Amino acid sequence: MSDLIEEIKKNLIAGRVDSEDEGFDEDMTGQPGVTELVKQALEEKIPASDILAQALTPGMEKVGRLFEDGEYLLPDMLASAECVAEATEIMEPHLAGVDIQSRGKFIVATVEGDLHDIGKNIVATILQGSGFEVQDIGTSVKASQIVQAVKESKPRFLGLSALLTSTMTHMGEVIDLLKNEGIRDQIIICIGGAPVSEEFAKKIGADIYGEDAFDAMNKLEKLA
Amino acid sequence: MQNRKPKNSPFRGLDIQRHSFLSDKDCRLIHEGSCQLLEEVGIGVTHAGAVKLFEKEGATKQNGRMFIPRMIVERSIQQTEKNIVLKALDSTNNLGIEGKNSRVHYGTGGQALYVLDYKDGAFEKKAAVTQDLIDIVRICENLENVDFITRPVEPNVQDEDMDLTKTRIFLENTSKHINLANLIQIEKLPEIISMVQNKELISFIACVLVSPLSMAESTTEKFIRFIQEDIPVAISSCPQAGTTAPLSEVGELMQVNAEVLSALTLANLVRPGAKILYRGIPITSNLHTNVSPRWCQPDSIRRIAIISDMTHFYGIPCCGTAGVSDEKEPNPQAIAEKTLSWIFETASGAQFINSALGMLEQVLTVCPEQYIIDDMVIGRIKQLFLKSPDYNLRDIARTGVEEALSMFGVQMDSAMKEEVSSRINFIFSGQEEYSADHVQAQADLIKKAIISGKSSNVFLKTSRSGLRRGWLYSGKRFEGRLELEDLHLLKTEILDSYGN
Ligand code: B12
Repeated sequence: MSDLIEEIKKNLIAGRVDSEDEGFDEDMTGQPGVTELVKQALEEKIPASDILAQALTPGMEKVGRLFEDGEYLLPDMLASAECVAEATEIMEPHLAGVDIQSRGKFIVATVEGDLHDIGKNIVATILQGSGFEVQDIGTSVKASQIVQAVKESKPRFLGLSALLTSTMTHMGEVIDLLKNEGIRDQIIICIGGAPVSEEFAKKIGADIYGEDAFDAMNKLEKLA
Repeated sequence: MQNRKPKNSPFRGLDIQRHSFLSDKDCRLIHEGSCQLLEEVGIGVTHAGAVKLFEKEGATKQNGRMFIPRMIVERSIQQTEKNIVLKALDSTNNLGIEGKNSRVHYGTGGQALYVLDYKDGAFEKKAAVTQDLIDIVRICENLENVDFITRPVEPNVQDEDMDLTKTRIFLENTSKHINLANLIQIEKLPEIISMVQNKELISFIACVLVSPLSMAESTTEKFIRFIQEDIPVAISSCPQAGTTAPLSEVGELMQVNAEVLSALTLANLVRPGAKILYRGIPITSNLHTNVSPRWCQPDSIRRIAIISDMTHFYGIPCCGTAGVSDEKEPNPQAIAEKTLSWIFETASGAQFINSALGMLEQVLTVCPEQYIIDDMVIGRIKQLFLKSPDYNLRDIARTGVEEALSMFGVQMDSAMKEEVSSRINFIFSGQEEYSADHVQAQADLIKKAIISGKSSNVFLKTSRSGLRRGWLYSGKRFEGRLELEDLHLLKTEILDSYGN
């Protein structure tokens, strides 16, 4: 395996997107990170499929194991997931014909009137790191806009977040609108947020309730 | 009955000698950093009226962000009302909140979503309803150490009726100062004012800020209306280090201070001499587990107490925060962490300590029995402070936790004592340097996070080195069984006295 591929994997495990990232053990600012290294590798004509198979995939697997062992914490997982996302974006033009194992497209939004986005962002990043193609359409998104995005992007999954008792009702509204449009059955709907529950999910006809990002990941991975 | 009214004072409250964590020089450094953020990074503002007011005074707007010259900010700090009287139906319950004094008051907080019901020795969690609001207000009316009541839960009526129902429940059930916190429909404000007859009986809390450095449009509207009516409002900003602010204490303080100052500036543009309570709540995110907010761990306790250094530096009244346990139910851990938090927040001289009673599960849950527990422990803490005017804070903290636990049948063993000491040490010892370089580095990080458009990911990622340096406390839990039967009887007695 080339040194460069080894370097990419090492930096991915350290969660360093670019040279501005300090890492966490010692200050690594200034040394190239995943994006610079991937660009260099492509310039040196290392096949993108090799970078994917020998650096990104095993690197992320290692991060997953470190997380399960409690050695890595959520910010570490997040940093590495971001490296994968950035690297894949750079490599995209070089990956034509290569089967990138996406688990499917996932659109996520916080519903109308609700500005809470911390939980939603974590869910988005964790799912991205575990191989979903995530499209985050923001906070306080109107039901009609969410339905519009679903029509345009045709995702396999739709994630809705609400943190207020006064906004969680909009989740049901989204589902009703999708039904009216006749596209409800084409997607898997997953909801979450502090006031939301399994019971509420059933009541409004959502498919999955995710208590937190990992619960959602586990449940979605089973379907993907 | 201790200290209902200190000698020579017409007001309730506990008069203490305050303990400061930061020097004036440190406070100045944070202030400078905050002014720089407001001038160079700006604050996200969309509310048209607010934009107009800022621009009229020479602030400039670009890409949705308002850049506020420090001159306007500093003028507003000068203009802000420094002494506020919060009145109550029974005038012996009036509160004198003075920015330069450290006369401390305790009250409830909200809005909780759930209430714990005690049945057959166990707690059951359920969604809060109107009767819970009535019960909690009645219980707090009867508790000696509740100086004011912030609405703990909302009534579960139609949105249309929520604000008026809530106000009526307060008027019928308490003689203490009424902090209505939020209004669901701001159009109801005139009706509420005519219902209470005397505006001075009520105050509000406005969560104007969305961290990092942005104002929520609908809350800005409510905030402006309260200020126009000359009703006291606490400006609330509650960043969580590691997700909506830097993990660094210095970075988070500088950001939360800039956030509160931006709204305080707006308030004085609406009405010079606005009646403001400064409510900065720089808590942390639990980066060890699921990133949920940490309200009552040593890192949060320390940062929240430091906020009072800033408010005393400015001489502006402080709406403090204490006693919001991270535990889901009343237990020894909840009592221990609440006690430490009350003690340090009291010592900090925060004049209007909100959320101090009843709260569990990071503000999501309240529990009638917990209000009674909290009232008892706060009473004990007051005695400890009053025993000697030149108290030793470490001793009070150690003794306080020990006594609080033993009040409910839990005796501390040596491991528990060690854990208390370790928490106290963490609260006392700063992990970071207060230097111009560090302030600058943190300002750069905040700027980078905002420009990226995905600030929580930037803050999470950059928290990794601080996390490994131990910036978030990690320790052991306090285990044991509480004796609560008596409290339950006390609660039933209070509620039965109202004849239902
Ligand atoms: C931080 C916070 C804020 C911040 C938000 C900052 C931001 N950028 O998001 C600010 C200060 C802006 C804010 C504002 C308000 N807030 Co607020 N806020 C909170 C707080 C303290 C923490 C939320 C949080 O970020 N948690 C951490 C994250 C990691 O957890 P999480 O969001 O629950 O997400 C996890 C899971 O739920 C799940 N999940 C979440 N979304 C999704 C989606 C999917 C698809 C899946 C599968 C899973 C999932 O996975 C996540 C990760 O594990 C909560 C209290 C609490 N403890 O929850 C109150 C709280 C939610 N807020 C509350 C209120 C009242 C408000 C305001 C109305 C206050 C006011 N008076 O103005 C405003 C409303 C603004 C608006 N229009 O949205 C109340 C709600 C009460 C109610 N009855 O609805 C709460 C419960 C606090 C309280 N007790 O008063 N708030």
